[in-house]
Amino acid sequence: MIASEIVFGAVFMLLSIFFFAMTFTFPEITIALSPTVFPRFVTVCLFLLSSLLLIQGIRKQRKQQPAERREKIERVYLLRFILLAAAGFLYTRLIRYTGYVVATPLFIAAAMLVFAEKKWYRIILISVGTTAVLYLVFRMVFRVPLPRFGLW
Amino acid sequence: MSPLVDGLSYVLSLSHFPFLVIGVAGGIVVGALPGLTGSVGIILLLPFLYYLEPATALIMLSGMFCGAIYGGSISAILISTPGTPSAAATVLDGYPLAQKGEAGKAIGVATIASTTGGIISTLCMIFISPQLARFALKFGPEEYFALMVFGLTVIASVSGRSLVKGLISGFFGLLIASIGIDELTGYARFSFDVPNLMTGFPMLPVLIGMFAVSQIFMELGNVGKKLQRYDQKIKGVFPTWKEFKSLITVIIPASFLGTFIGIIPGTGGAIASFMAYNETRRFSKDPDSFGKGNLAGVAAPEAANNGTTGGAMVPLLTLGIPGDVVTAVMLGALLLIGVRPGPLLFQQNPQIINALFVGFMLAQFLILGLGLAGVKVFPRILKVPISILFPVIFALCFLGSFSLNNSIYDMLVALLFGVIGYFMRKHGFPAAPMILGVILGPLAERELGKALIMSHGDWSTLVRSPIALFFYGISILSVSYSLLRLRRSKQKGK
Repeated sequence: MIASEIVFGAVFMLLSIFFFAMTFTFPEITIALSPTVFPRFVTVCLFLLSSLLLIQGIRKQRKQQPAERREKIERVYLLRFILLAAAGFLYTRLIRYTGYVVATPLFIAAAMLVFAEKKWYRIILISVGTTAVLYLVFRMVFRVPLPRFGLW
Repeated sequence: MSPLVDGLSYVLSLSHFPFLVIGVAGGIVVGALPGLTGSVGIILLLPFLYYLEPATALIMLSGMFCGAIYGGSISAILISTPGTPSAAATVLDGYPLAQKGEAGKAIGVATIASTTGGIISTLCMIFISPQLARFALKFGPEEYFALMVFGLTVIASVSGRSLVKGLISGFFGLLIASIGIDELTGYARFSFDVPNLMTGFPMLPVLIGMFAVSQIFMELGNVGKKLQRYDQKIKGVFPTWKEFKSLITVIIPASFLGTFIGIIPGTGGAIASFMAYNETRRFSKDPDSFGKGNLAGVAAPEAANNGTTGGAMVPLLTLGIPGDVVTAVMLGALLLIGVRPGPLLFQQNPQIINALFVGFMLAQFLILGLGLAGVKVFPRILKVPISILFPVIFALCFLGSFSLNNSIYDMLVALLFGVIGYFMRKHGFPAAPMILGVILGPLAERELGKALIMSHGDWSTLVRSPIALFFYGISILSVSYSLLRLRRSKQKGK
């Protein structure tokens, strides 16, 4: 397994290089402080720090014994994370078409299933109940124009 | 007396007082639930605050802040899991007391100590803040820039175990803050011609994602684990008169210690409560009884951590710099509801300040009332399964992100930062420095720009002011102290 410091060090390093390079595309307009100054300072610092992290990771990797694997637990955890994030993403897509009132109970029910809720009556009660309460508070009291389906 | 009467009549009016009660009660619940901290509570409250008057929003926020710090003690005592980091020291004696069947008394003492700590720190805030604000009126952009630099050094103290990871998280926050329109030139930096990126990432969804959504993802690790609960019957909330007399000699000094620690940026409730605990044990006639269920071991940290609340508000209100994570989120919250903390707030909006002072004080009495009345309900709060709690909070996070700009894009931003925050936290990158970067970065750049405009581009203006030099000096001290502390804790760890 590659130490996470190496992965994160590399990612932040690439990110800082990319953003630093992007500052050269900024137009030459300066009112006391050029728009490039702050991002360049930040990206240079980020680059230095991520190099440090990368070095720490390489050192750690050398010292590290083959790690004991708790892979099964990790895999289930990761799967739940992916499912929940996917449910969240689908919710933001679905809400556009079906509106808040339809998409939200589906999302809450999906999230409850990912959190291993087994009692179906709880799933129905909580998903519908929460949607109703949030709808009442935000739509009726705060007058937030929640996304809606044609009929709502 | 007029400001006091003004504040009282505002806060106690029927259209404002219920919000304070909801804030405090919500804070206690959020603080008591492990996994939800004061910062998460404040963030979840933000979408509601947006529809209130600034002063009402501010007193509700204060209620949530104080309530959450107190609420952390409940789960610390009942199930040995501190609800917030600042209640970690309360576990040491609180949990043994609960195991002896004295959970009621432990919560009662925690409530009395928290209230006393809160009242003392509120009084200090009321007396110190206006003086400091008057002094801060002399500050120009140079001094403010130095102050923001000092505020950013708090990153080092909230970095957790790895300074490098904390700093990376902080600079990543600064980088995110630099996306969008540059205030001086109007140029949209790093927007890649995407219209949504022109104004940068909206702050509320970023906060919701980094703190709340990432926490929900983290909680997936607890799926299938048995929920800790407290099943004994709770009785006897009040300590005896004799116990009370001996405890008050612990509570009052711990409250002042907490207030003092709270005023210093980069500290916070966790440090104050451990310091108060250690000092109380050191001066105790019976130090060996600590850790086995000594009431003073609950009173001291609880007085100290609620003592930090009023203390931490001093630099936040007068100078606009946050002292720790919760106050950093508070700063973000204040900016979102249109209140810009700083000395001008005292001059231009005294009614907001009056309401805040009175609201903060009343919040302490509400903690006392709700804490003592709710003792028997608290174990039930802890029984809420995570399979209900977190899906509901997730739905609230999405709705909160949407509601500010009525934008589905904002919901996606919250999800994106939730995922980023999850990966970062899972690999030891703390979220707090990033939030400090996101909030303080633009403020620092704005002040730097203003200073340079006034000096016609002469950078030496930054180091000409003695006040600015003073802040640079204490910034260096603050970072050195954090490095020293980190080194010591690593040596202890070995």
